[in-house]
Formats: sequence, structure tokens, C-alpha cells
Amino acid sequence: MPKIIGERIKRNEDPRLLTGEALFVDDVSIPGMLHAAFLRSDYAHAYLRSIDTSAARERPGVVAVITAQDMGDEWQPGPPLVSPPPTVKGVVFHSRPQVPLVKDKVRHAGEAIALVVAESRYIAEDAVEDILVDLDPIDAVVDIEKALHPDAPLVHEDLESNLAAHLIQQRGDYAAARARADVVIKRKIVIDRGAAGAMENRGIVADWDAKSQHLTVWDTTQAPIPIRNGIATRLGLSESQVRVIAPFIGGGFGPKMMMHYPEEILIPWIAVKLGRPVKWIEDRHENFFATTQERTQVHEAEIALTKDGRVLGVSHNFLHDSGAYDPYGLTIPLNTQSHVMGAYDVPNYYSDLKVVFTNKTLTTPIRGAGRPQGIFVIERLLDIAAKELGIDPVEIRMRNFIHPDAFPYQREIIDQAFAPLILDSGNYKPVLEKAATMIGYDRFVKEEGPRLRAEGRHVGIGLVSFIETTGVGPYEGARITVEASGKIRVATGVGTQGQGHFTSFAQIVAEQLGVGVEDVHVSTGDTSEFHWGTGTFASRGAVVAGNAIHASALAVRYKILKLASKVLEAPEEELELEDGQVRVADIPNMSISLGELALLANPLRGAVEPGTEPGLEATAYFGPQYGAAAFGVHAMILEVDPETMMVEIKRYVVVEDCGTILNPMILEGQIHGGVAMGIGNAFYERLVFDENGQLLNASLADYLIPTASEVPRIEVGHEETRSPLNPLGTKGAGEAGTIPVPALFAQALENALPDLNLEILEMPLSPNRLFELVQEKERDK
Amino acid sequence: MKLVGEYTFDGPREEVWKLIRDPEVLSTALPGTQSLEQVSENEYQGEMNVRVGPVGGVFMGRLTVSDEVPPESLTMTVEGKGKPGFLNGSGHVQLIAQEDGRTLMKYDGEVQIGGRLASVGQRLIDTASKSIIGQALDTLNQASKARLSAQVTGQAVEYKPPSETEFAASVAKDMAGEVFSSSRLIWIGVAVLIIIIILAIFLISSGGS
Repeated sequence: MPKIIGERIKRNEDPRLLTGEALFVDDVSIPGMLHAAFLRSDYAHAYLRSIDTSAARERPGVVAVITAQDMGDEWQPGPPLVSPPPTVKGVVFHSRPQVPLVKDKVRHAGEAIALVVAESRYIAEDAVEDILVDLDPIDAVVDIEKALHPDAPLVHEDLESNLAAHLIQQRGDYAAARARADVVIKRKIVIDRGAAGAMENRGIVADWDAKSQHLTVWDTTQAPIPIRNGIATRLGLSESQVRVIAPFIGGGFGPKMMMHYPEEILIPWIAVKLGRPVKWIEDRHENFFATTQERTQVHEAEIALTKDGRVLGVSHNFLHDSGAYDPYGLTIPLNTQSHVMGAYDVPNYYSDLKVVFTNKTLTTPIRGAGRPQGIFVIERLLDIAAKELGIDPVEIRMRNFIHPDAFPYQREIIDQAFAPLILDSGNYKPVLEKAATMIGYDRFVKEEGPRLRAEGRHVGIGLVSFIETTGVGPYEGARITVEASGKIRVATGVGTQGQGHFTSFAQIVAEQLGVGVEDVHVSTGDTSEFHWGTGTFASRGAVVAGNAIHASALAVRYKILKLASKVLEAPEEELELEDGQVRVADIPNMSISLGELALLANPLRGAVEPGTEPGLEATAYFGPQYGAAAFGVHAMILEVDPETMMVEIKRYVVVEDCGTILNPMILEGQIHGGVAMGIGNAFYERLVFDENGQLLNASLADYLIPTASEVPRIEVGHEETRSPLNPLGTKGAGEAGTIPVPALFAQALENALPDLNLEILEMPLSPNRLFELVQEKERDK
Repeated sequence: MKLVGEYTFDGPREEVWKLIRDPEVLSTALPGTQSLEQVSENEYQGEMNVRVGPVGGVFMGRLTVSDEVPPESLTMTVEGKGKPGFLNGSGHVQLIAQEDGRTLMKYDGEVQIGGRLASVGQRLIDTASKSIIGQALDTLNQASKARLSAQVTGQAVEYKPPSETEFAASVAKDMAGEVFSSSRLIWIGVAVLIIIIILAIFLISSGGS
């Protein structure tokens, strides 16, 4: 069998994408289509006293203006997407899902108050301005550390406080470990908010065909099947009456996994009501308010160690910002809890989590999803400990790594899959050694660094490690069909947002069926093609959908061999699948093409044998026992300009162990994109709110996404520790590029400014903020 | 956002006081003002065109005067909202008679902004608001001088408030000045480069002849 998995194959989808022939939601145009725009609140926290939509309704070209009042009984909050983990004892969780339109109180700036549908977007936008709305502003909850203060205004007035959830998790006995520790280090660590900044904003087109009683929805969602199910339930339709298509999408990164955004209910709802197609495309300004965000946490963290740098325990009390509502449950902070122990064998752990409501856009996972915060906490604590104990930062990590024999390793902490986390497999030391070699760690520390510093240059090196829990269940599925043309059709339920699924999934099938990768046509994200599954999130596409496709390819291969054996009158063991043919080994002229075989499997006359099915087609599912844990090390050398505090990254190295690699080129692309996002998280991207909950940098002129000049060439190395949890041995890698970057930046910056004894305990930074931190230190000197 | 500052008027305190309590004069001082009516003794209502960088549109607002101690001090409260967002603020204005017959105005206020004005205009709002206040006070001062001169000569001096375009151009110039001052070195560099190029062309062409 020729090896195709693991080959560096160019992407099947690129010709369409590069020539502008790929379909995105905004490309959908239907005769008679109407356009929607939303009136959104300028205030973060305000009572809605009255709305007068009469002028808007009278504007020529306006077809409908809808407020919460107009929706009557059809106005319903939610639905909540994820419930709290039932297995954690004593968990407090107040579910307050988002609402379609503000009914009585605005809870964040940009929350939708009214929907306008008109003949054009221009008219709709003008009509939005015709609406007279009386909002009575009240004090806003912005700072999460003040949210639980007894005098704080309440985001949800039916609750006693702004506490959304409270949860304590522990393993071992931290207090006892602390008592016998040689060193205890305690720090306050703060991480602030950012946006996902996908190139394509959100968008929805809904088309109701009254004659066939069928609704088609194009949606920039990462989860087309759950969206289909939700729309059907909300609109009282059967699931078969609703088709959701998630076509090509210009970046997901998590926020497009939110189910359901108010617009995802409202646009289909109004399209059915009006009996006309309706389009809504989010603009960039709306995106800064109406699309979910992430990262704000404040940790009071502590690490207890022996004097030779062995970690005895970690403890932290932390606050997590939920924003105005909490439909996504505890996914983000549970990921933080399961990553605060990093890649290390930490026998004792105590974690007290409080989630708070604030008057800000809601938070849901963004690439990394709580993990960057957890990794930042542990890596920072280890760096400070290393300094205090006089141990090299690389050495202290080596000393604490989970030993390769300890896998599967029980973390004893409930994670986002609602079960105690188990790290399935890993071998961490060789990954770290490879990264240290690639960046030339020893040489830099001993020679290069001192030489450059003697020249007056502010250069620094960093090296951090991280784990990433990936590939969580519940399941995905796929159907594979051999067509009479000899081409292979694959349909799966996950959506695609640039991950290269059309190629990596095709490689899995091509290897089993002996066809060219270009002859495998993959369909993703169309519920009429495949309608079971969850979505593309949590670095699970290659693991869960990949293995479902693998299982399905094996089943089709079995059918091919069985039928070919009969046709060619040769035993199955002697048959080979290659070049789109089934051949009898060693007798090249005894063969049949897959296309001919497909025709024979679907006869027009005669009879299909009882107990068999027509066609060379199979459907299979895969659900992992639990998620696979990837591991990696990032290292970099940077230089700081002491006048401007701008940073230039001189070298950037990633060594990644995500199990079996399907396509190294696609994997490296994922890593590159992830690192770019991490650089934003570390040094450029911060959403700034004032004390009234006003977002002060809601444009790409002020909210800085790294560009080509801030992202260096990234060198990627690989190690492969196969996951025992799935036949392909894959682990996810979608978030690996992003997770450790803030921790790495902090370490390297401290290293570059050694005289200042800087301690970086916050993210994101910026040149300005770094300047302030340096000024503070210089004043203290 | 805090707005704190001073301005010296050329006229006596009583004159300046009359000016700032006269809606007609006030509306000429802020040329974006499309209407300003007195709705009660101490309350004005109006519409004003505001533009800050990329954000612009009509504000509908209400101005309330309170704690009035003529001709010394008053508190102004402003509430406005419109397409660009909202603006709420209040400020204390004090007039202090100077020995030379002029009047020192001190103002100290706090303004809250929201909506697009805050989320997109934030970067420019500080400079823009300082500039708008500065321009407006200059205009008031011109008006004051015109009135005074009329009193002295018994003949009205022509007072022409700046048009909306002139006003906006002045604000834009102030904002640009702020940007350019930080990059003056670049401009000097560019100027030097241009001189070198001209010299080079001159030398090449003269060498050829």
C-alpha cells in the first residue's frame, strides 16, 4: 500500500480559493433577497424604557422592523450550549443564556435591540437610525475584581451577586505539600481580553421555500449540524426541513462555534415569516461587539517546591470573566484548571474558580480556550522559582516533566469533556531537547548572548513547554462513496474554516483505496450531505473526524475487495488497490477499475444479493474514549529596542508532538497561524474598556493584529508519539501554536532586560506597557 | 475624559458672562450647531454636527446651566446622543477678572463618551476636543471684541463667525500638527533627501552640457 498519510501534499482546495471561486456566505445571492441590519446599544448597561420604530417602518424599502416586543412568545433566551459539569461536587452554576433581542435591559455594549429588514443594506442601516430608543444607563460592571464587591451593580438582577459559577477542584493535599516545601512562591497574574479577529466576519443567509416547505441556511458556523438542529427546534420544523451549509469560511478560531448567536435564530426566523430570502453580514465594527471574545482571568497563584526544584504543589484562586451571559458554561476555565499543571508531574493541586458576569461581550473559547492562561501561570511560576533557586529554566522543566512510563497519566481534574482528565501518551524530554538544539540554547546562553549584550544589545532567549488536550468526543462520522466515474466522494459533518480538510481527509481515504488524493472529493459542513456530528473545535477535526473517515474508508475497502474478489475470481488476500484499480498481485492484466466495480455494485438489472447493500459506500463513526494530549515546546530569541520598546523576533522554533502527522505542510501552516495569533495575544492585541464598559479600540486601526512584519519565519520540528486512543494515532494541533506564546514572550523579555530584574505577570503586553513596566523598575532601582 | 483648561478673554467679565449666556452667540461659536433653543430659563436644546476623525453625525442634545453665580461661575451639564454615539458631561466654568481688564476663564469638567465616538474615535478624541474648545473660545473672544468695539465706537464692527468648513479645517490642522510633531525627524530626513536629489539632478545636467 503506497504511503500517502504523512506526505507533504499540496492542498486540493487551494486552486479554488486562490482564484476566487470558493463560495463564502457573502457570495450567496438569491433573487428577491432582503438585507438585515441591527440596532445595537451604545451603552453597556442600561434599562430599555421604550422604542419607537414608526419612522423606520415608514422609510421606503423597509420590509420589517422587529423588537423583542414584536416577537411575542417567540422571544426566548438561549438555548444554553453547554451545561455545567455534573460530576464536580458542590459546583454552583447560574445559567443565564443570551437573548435574541434586548427586552428590558441592555447587558453589554453592542447588544442587539432591534432588527431591520429592507430591500438593501443601505436602506436597512438608514432605518436603524430612524429608530428612537430610550435607554436609561446605569453603572456598569467592568473590572472582574470589583464584580463581586457587595456594592457592585448586578448584571442579572434576579441573582444575589455577579457570581456566575463557583467550583473547587483539587488533587492530593496542597496544604500539606506547602508545609514541607523549601520554597513557596506566590504571585498575582493577570490576563486580559482579546478578539479572535477572523478575516471573515460572521454572516447568515436564510431562504425559505414555501412550496417545498424547506429552509436553507448558509452560515459562517463551525458547527452546522447543531445549528441545523437548533433552528429546526426553534422554528417548529423537522430537521429534514432545514439544511445548513457552512461553506468556505475565512477563519473560525472558536467564536464561530458559539451556538446560537441571536442572529442565527433571528435571520432564519424572519426569512420564514416574510417568505423571502434574508441576508445579514456582520461588519467589522459589529464584530468587535457581537462576536464572542476571550481570555480575562485574574489568578492569585502559588507554587511549592523543594530546593532542588521539584514541584510539590500548585494552588490558585482565580476569577474568570464570563461577560454578560454564560451559554458556553465552564469550558474555558475548566481548560485553565486542567492546564495549570502544564506538562509536569504535580502531585498536589488546589484550584478555586469563580466565574463572574460583567457588562461586556460574552466570552467563549478562542484558539487556546483557557489553556494559554493555565500555561502562562505555571510557566511563569516555574521561571520565578528557577531564578530563586538558581536553576536553569530549561533544567527545572526537565526535572518536573511527566515521565514517559507514567502514561496514561491521571490528572485527577475534571476537564471540558466533563470527565477526569487523562493524558494518554507522551515523551516530553526529546521534544524539549530538539527545540533547545534547534534554537542553539546552550550556545546562546554561553556565547552569543553575552557577546551581543557586551555590544550593548538587548537580546533574550526563551523556552517554554505546554500540553494541549485535543480531540475530544463525543463523535464524528463520515460516508464514503465510490462513484461510477472512479472518483471518491467523502462527506463529513464537521465544517471547515481553512484547516485543509479537503486534503488531509482525502489523504486518509486515498491511502486505503489506492486512488490519487486529487480524486477524493471531500464535502464538509453541509447537513444535506451528512447530518450527524458536532463541529470543528477543540483541535478535534484530524482526530475525531479523521478517524471516522479512516473507519469509513476501511469499510469501503472491504466492500471493494469482496466484490472484486468475485469479479476477478481471485482471493481477497491477493488483491491490491492502486492507481484507481483493483489488481491481482503479480498478474497486472487481471484488474478492474474502481469505477467499473462501482457500476457492478449498483446494477440496473438482475438482483442485489439478499443481505447486501447496493453501491461501494459505507458510513462509519468514531468516538474517542477520551481526548488525546499533545505536547510541544516553543523557543525564541528576541531583541528589544530600549527606546521604543518594540520587539524584533530573531528566531522562533516550535517542536510539536501531535502524534501521527497527516500532512506536515498543513500541520506547519496550522502552527504558523497559531504562533501569529499568540504573538498578538502576547504583545499587540488587547481590547481596552473604560469604566463604563465602552470598548475604546473597536477598529483594526486601533486593535492591532500582527502583520507580516511582526511575524517571523517560524522553524518547525516534529516528534511523533502516536495516541493509543485512535487507529490513526493522531492528536490535534489547531491550538498548539497559540497556547505558550505569552509565557514565552514573558520569559524572553525578562532575559533580554536582565539588569532590571523584570517580572512580567500580565498579558497582553504592548510596547507602551513594556515601557511602563521598565520605568517602574528603573524608579525602584 | 477630563477637560481642564484656561482661556483669557480680552474683554471684562460682565461682557464675557453675557456672551456665554447668549444661545445665539454660543451657536455661532460651535459652527456645527444646527439649532439651539432655550427651552426654559436654564435649559437649552439643540442639534449639532460633530465630526471626530472617521466618526461623524448629528447629535441631539440638552444643555443645562446650574449653580449660577453671575458673573463669576456656573456649571454646565450636557447630554447628547446621535448616530455617532453619546456624550454626557458636566463642567464647572469660572470667570476671574484680571487686573488688566481682561477675563480669565477656568474650566474643569468630565465627559463620558460612548458608542462609535468612543470605540472608533477614541484615538483622536483628546486632541479633537481640546481643539474644538480652543476654536470655540477663540470665536467667542472675537465676538466679545466685536461687541466691545461697537460699544466704544458706537458703530458695529463686522463680526463673521467661522463657517463649519473653516472650523473643521482648523480642528484638522491641530490634529495633524500633533501627528507631525512626533515624526518631525522623518520630515527633516525627507527634506534633506529632496535637496540631495535636486542637487544631484542639477549636477548631472550641468555636467552633461
